[in-house]
Amino acid sequence: MTTALLVIAYLAALNVARTRLGAPEGEGGRARPLVLAGGSLLALGIVAALAGWSGPLLGALQITPETFRIAAGIAAMLAGAYVLVAPRPAAEPAPAGGWAMIWPICFPLLAGPEVMALAVATGSGEGLPPTLAAAGSALAALFLVGLVPRRPLADRVLLWASRVLGLLLLLVGVWLAVDGIRDV
Amino acid sequence: MARRVAVHLLILGLGLGVFRIAVVPAEVCPVVTTAQASEAVDEAAAWLLRGLGEDGRYVYGYDRDADQVSSDYNGTRHAGVTMALYQYAAAAGRPEVVAATDRGLAFMVDRLLSEGDWQAWLSPGEEVQLGSNALLVAALAMRRQATGDLRYDDVMRGVGRFLLAQQQPDGSMHGYWSPVTRRAVPVQGKFATGEAAWALALLAAAFPGEGWAEASLPTLDYLARRRDRDMGFLTRMPDHWAAYALAELGPGHLDQVRSDYSRRLAGYFGVRLRFEAQRRGSGINLAVRWVPGTPAGVGTAGEGIAAIWRLAQEDERLADLVPNLEDRLACFAGMMVERQSTAAEAAAYPRPGLVQGAWFYRGYVQMDDVQHVLSGLLAAIPLMEAREVAG
Repeated sequence: MTTALLVIAYLAALNVARTRLGAPEGEGGRARPLVLAGGSLLALGIVAALAGWSGPLLGALQITPETFRIAAGIAAMLAGAYVLVAPRPAAEPAPAGGWAMIWPICFPLLAGPEVMALAVATGSGEGLPPTLAAAGSALAALFLVGLVPRRPLADRVLLWASRVLGLLLLLVGVWLAVDGIRDV
Repeated sequence: MARRVAVHLLILGLGLGVFRIAVVPAEVCPVVTTAQASEAVDEAAAWLLRGLGEDGRYVYGYDRDADQVSSDYNGTRHAGVTMALYQYAAAAGRPEVVAATDRGLAFMVDRLLSEGDWQAWLSPGEEVQLGSNALLVAALAMRRQATGDLRYDDVMRGVGRFLLAQQQPDGSMHGYWSPVTRRAVPVQGKFATGEAAWALALLAAAFPGEGWAEASLPTLDYLARRRDRDMGFLTRMPDHWAAYALAELGPGHLDQVRSDYSRRLAGYFGVRLRFEAQRRGSGINLAVRWVPGTPAGVGTAGEGIAAIWRLAQEDERLADLVPNLEDRLACFAGMMVERQSTAAEAAAYPRPGLVQGAWFYRGYVQMDDVQHVLSGLLAAIPLMEAREVAG
């Protein structure tokens, strides 16, 4: 997977627009920056852990990295198709204070099954540094989008961006599955 | 909120469980030693030889549950089994196997017919087949390697000229020749074109400088570029005979198209073996992966991956595939050694001699089941030896 495709894969899997739609907002219609940043860092930590330990994890599960790529592709396809149907995440009750970085930012908005599967797949295939760089870039983009007030960033724009990213995720899933099938 | 968290976690857990069962069951690769693999090969060859009659025909198939020997026969499979037994004789250094297998060879050589400058054998009740004649050439090449005996060189060349007579300008091969019309029948055989490409490559190795390698290249290119589409296959065919041909010709004859084809073939064999390793044939796994595949199918994947492994060790362009190729080949050997019928299992059936050493698919074994697994295991043994030496 090229670097560009890797970044696209994480942008689509972490779905910046959809996450922004579900992120708890503070004053001025902006996402709560500390909550967003904290949740993003937690999600990045999960990606790092899964990617870094992907080898031992797959070994323990007796799954070859090539076969897991097919599974990650299927997970991405299902998640992408779901986003096309439901581009806005369900409204989750957010706890007060910093707990919101865990729920709902880190989970379920960011560290969904497709992101976790992607982390294992790219960790075992492309390696930890490229995986972290790609996921980090996508989360940085999320943070920047979170700083923009909602008034100029209309729901309609975010919903369409969410659908586009869902479609991209679906295509990434197809690519991953085909790659896993063609690999030795 | 706690209820929402629980619902999400429950869905995540259920999803993971479904994925584990249906998409990525464990790929189980039993670890076996070289000695175990060699013993399995000996047992398989013994099964084939026990089925070799005085008339030079092998037992075609056996249903162990119904205690029924199949009355079918097939010339291409006969030639393939003969080839595999000579392969075994060459690899295991067993001259007595050559003597026995020569009866199987005589069944073909005694039925040679000539037309123009070529020769070809005609299996009873069939047309003259490209595949059965390509595998006759392969059998003779293996016999030559096993014995150094050159007495059949003229037959090899004569049958080689039959293959060339069937070859078309685009590299495709007519699969049959009719002794009634004395013309080639313009229909392709599913595996025959790959078998012919391999036979031509073996002729090139036996008789360098006679143009056989150059003759095989258009057919290899046809296999790489057009065969699957021309034959209307929905998916690419994992042609282990083509893999044999590529490995026999070696990197010197592989341009980018043929090298890319080798890589594609490696992928087909790889995914076939990875999925095979997921099959248990029981419980929920039976519902999602069905029973373990036909031994012939798994065996051809083993043969194919072994051929590409040999090639990849010599070809820099394929060097990145070597670790995975080795893992798949070792996995193939482990699975098939474990699946072979043992003497103890065979004792429970009416004819233990037709059970011991064979691989069954739902109670039935066919000669090509044993042939392909035997060839695959033979090709895996050098890897297993190297791994044991390396510790």
